[in-house]
Amino acid sequence: MTTTRIHRAALSTLLIAGLAACGNQDGGQDANPLLIAARTAAGGVSAMRGDKAAQAQAPARTPEQMAAEALRVNPAPLVMVGFESLGRTQVMAMTGQNGAMRTYMAPSKEALILRDGMVVGTRGLGHDLSVAEPGTEALIRAGRSGTARRVMRYYSGDGLERPLSFDCTVGPGPKPGVVLESCEGHGARFQNSFMPQGGHLPVSRQWAGPKLGYVTIQVLRP
Amino acid sequence: MRAHSMLTRRLLASTVPVALLLGLGTSPARTDPLIGDVLNSYGLPGGVETPTAEMLPDGTLGGTLSYNGLGRRHNVIFQLHPRITTALRYSRVEGMKDHIEDLGNHIWDRSFDIRFQVLDEAGWRPAVAVGLQDFMGTGVYSGEYIVASKTITPRLRASLGIGWGRLAGEYRRPDSDDEGGKPNVDEWFSGSPKPFGSIAWQATDKLSLVAEYSSDEYVPESRDGLEEAPGSQFNLGAYYTFNPQYQLGLYTLGGDVFGAQFSFALNPRNAPFPSGLEKAPAPVRPRPAPAADPEGWSGAWSADPTAQPAIQTVLKDALADEGQMLESMSLSANRAEVRIRNTRYIQHSEAVGRTARLMTRALPPSVETLVITSNAEGMATSSVVLKRSDVERLENTEAGRIATAAELVDATPRPGDLVRTPGLFPRFRWNLAPYLDIGLFDPEDPLRYEVGAEVKASYELMPGLILSGSLRQRAFGNMDQSGPAIPPELNGGVRGDHYTAEEYEADPSLETSPEGVPRVRSDTRMYTGRTSPTIPELTLAWYAQPTEQVYTRVTVGLLERAYGGVSGEVLWKPANSPLAFGAEVNRVKKRDFDDMFGFRDYEVTTGHLSAYYEFANGFTAQLDVGKYLAGDKGATVTLTREFANGWRVGAFATKTDMSDEEFGNGSFDKGITISLPITWAAGTPTRDRAGSTLRSLSRDGGARVDVSGRLYDKVRDAQSVKLYQGWGRFWR
Repeated sequence: MTTTRIHRAALSTLLIAGLAACGNQDGGQDANPLLIAARTAAGGVSAMRGDKAAQAQAPARTPEQMAAEALRVNPAPLVMVGFESLGRTQVMAMTGQNGAMRTYMAPSKEALILRDGMVVGTRGLGHDLSVAEPGTEALIRAGRSGTARRVMRYYSGDGLERPLSFDCTVGPGPKPGVVLESCEGHGARFQNSFMPQGGHLPVSRQWAGPKLGYVTIQVLRP
Repeated sequence: MRAHSMLTRRLLASTVPVALLLGLGTSPARTDPLIGDVLNSYGLPGGVETPTAEMLPDGTLGGTLSYNGLGRRHNVIFQLHPRITTALRYSRVEGMKDHIEDLGNHIWDRSFDIRFQVLDEAGWRPAVAVGLQDFMGTGVYSGEYIVASKTITPRLRASLGIGWGRLAGEYRRPDSDDEGGKPNVDEWFSGSPKPFGSIAWQATDKLSLVAEYSSDEYVPESRDGLEEAPGSQFNLGAYYTFNPQYQLGLYTLGGDVFGAQFSFALNPRNAPFPSGLEKAPAPVRPRPAPAADPEGWSGAWSADPTAQPAIQTVLKDALADEGQMLESMSLSANRAEVRIRNTRYIQHSEAVGRTARLMTRALPPSVETLVITSNAEGMATSSVVLKRSDVERLENTEAGRIATAAELVDATPRPGDLVRTPGLFPRFRWNLAPYLDIGLFDPEDPLRYEVGAEVKASYELMPGLILSGSLRQRAFGNMDQSGPAIPPELNGGVRGDHYTAEEYEADPSLETSPEGVPRVRSDTRMYTGRTSPTIPELTLAWYAQPTEQVYTRVTVGLLERAYGGVSGEVLWKPANSPLAFGAEVNRVKKRDFDDMFGFRDYEVTTGHLSAYYEFANGFTAQLDVGKYLAGDKGATVTLTREFANGWRVGAFATKTDMSDEEFGNGSFDKGITISLPITWAAGTPTRDRAGSTLRSLSRDGGARVDVSGRLYDKVRDAQSVKLYQGWGRFWR
């Protein structure tokens, strides 16, 4: 008797799980927290699997090969971007330009916003930089030494745009042609390096945020 | 296992190094007062059992399970304000006899606590807090305290306090005539106070050791001789924090009672993906110089009748990709208005910001004024008016700058030049998913559940006219169909027996309590446990907007599981006003327990006048005055704290003219509601929420019809207080 009941329960559990949420309903539904948690977990797992499958299929390529192919296929301005904390290097193509500000996007619709090589923001990475206001920009482009304030605004988990502000010193680096920007604030410090050329910043390594870490940027086609 | 670790990581992971997290405050300095590392067995920051003057980071929502030989405490805590901690507790107290004989030697008891930090630690001065423990319940844990806490070294903290009631070893025996559930104000700080104190040493970054002296004598647990109080007043505990959100503790009371506890704490700031995982928006497309597009700049294109349909189609498709329905649009040479329905983003500013950028990409250059009107069920709740040149100039700058340049106004309900987007209506939506129903707080069966499948469907004939319903089929569970408890005076003084479903159904006179109160909610278990399909809801709803600031709703059909009928509502809520007024009238009949479409005899008209106010700091208040389901008259007060990311935690209380005796255990209806957006936990953009209402007791007094689609929450998303609170995501 008990066995049958358990059996039946197990069977219906399978049936229920099998129908896990299909439909075309709009958002805004109130759902049971436990079911949502289960669904979220399932989604996370399948997303992870999807990632792996995609990676497995794509042949391993060197950054040089990626750059060469992108330059051949895509006529738009291109940058090669390495997200050090994500362990990922990818080519991003310009999808919009507003004055000196350019939005570069990856095929996966993640974006990096640059103002002539200076990181202004990121989008779609989960820990995005909303906007950077580098008071040091003029010093860096001119290759001059000095100090200035850099404000970095982030999307915080509670839904606000919150600023972090840093005191930065700009000066020449150990190698000729390299300008270093050393910043400190909120108990954290980071160092950006640039290779300015005629006021442009074609090659740089810049700190994007506490979780995103450093981003290396190289202009492939201006 | 992997699914589990993935889930917990997503739900609970801290994402920002502490040093930076602290700096992420809007105000320049850190405003959180003295923060506790250890949660005591009552769920609040403290020692093992005793309180301290510590708080939790603002907005923290947490839970604790603490089990020992003298009881099991299940606590939910919320840091309501940087200086106010609140707790709701459901405990099993050993050694006490319940009125219900079969239950054995324990009772189940609910209690509420509140702690207010009067002074924060500064220089030589310790932090000082005043607390009320179990200040509304039946009084098993009832006590008050004043406590001071001082950081001695960075790893050592000491607290010293004086306590009354339970904290001084006194048991305030509940009055047997009292139904409980009311603040026992006259007992607060009564009796002779006694001291308590604790020392917490942070041995490593993760391990805290606590020693304390408590004056609790465990009178309720030990007075019947069923349990023995600990032999000493000294308690010891070790607490291990194995991730910023989880804590595991082992403790001993007096050296002879041992206990274990688990606690977790969520903070709205610690989202796993604070900026969300949604793809990047399409960037602004600045207009070409006038010389490059003289025709576009001249506005001559607007004379072409094919221009608007072509633009509207392009924009509709682009917006659909962003989860925005372009319901209608008007277009002239220099002004464009789009009416959108946001189906994706929990912070409405993100929907507005993305729509504005898409407009710059789709509209001819002569259009300078961009109007983004937000629609909810066909009602135009607000218009954001932007200058296109501001959108171009301020793209990807601090969100406050575009907020200053934007204008928020009431939307005109039906402007003449609006063209509906063809092909959107009628619109059919459906969803098939499992459901889980949980019943808590039944002393004989503290956790009841039911699992099954549910189909939900809606058919929107035109914007604002919606036919919707749901159908459920139970698969398994331990919820059964049962009548209400038999009043002891009719059962030879025996408590805890229930009428069977058949008995209850056979005798309609049982649907009125001996006190003469119609059973409007206390027989709610008659509606559960059905093995045949049920229809929880089947309604036709019509939403309308007679004037710019007035919204209406009429809903007919099976409004909820237990009632069907007609519900009408009017709401006055200007787009820029934090104040709103509403009125609701319902004419309902009680639904049959078994027959999906049948009704029982009880019929009633209920109605409420409501006032709503949104405070600037995320708190909202609501007052409803009117007549409730059992015909009783009274008022409900609701206070809710809302975060920009959509977190919502609230509390409500209802008092009606029903006497305490008529109402029964608990004296009046009260509870808390928690609602968290899925986006916060998962990162993917959706407006879905997970949440629950914890009611201290479901009784017949102060009960309302649970009709869905009430206007206030439909209308508010795109209006000033909420829109600006979440404005930081405009350029996301």
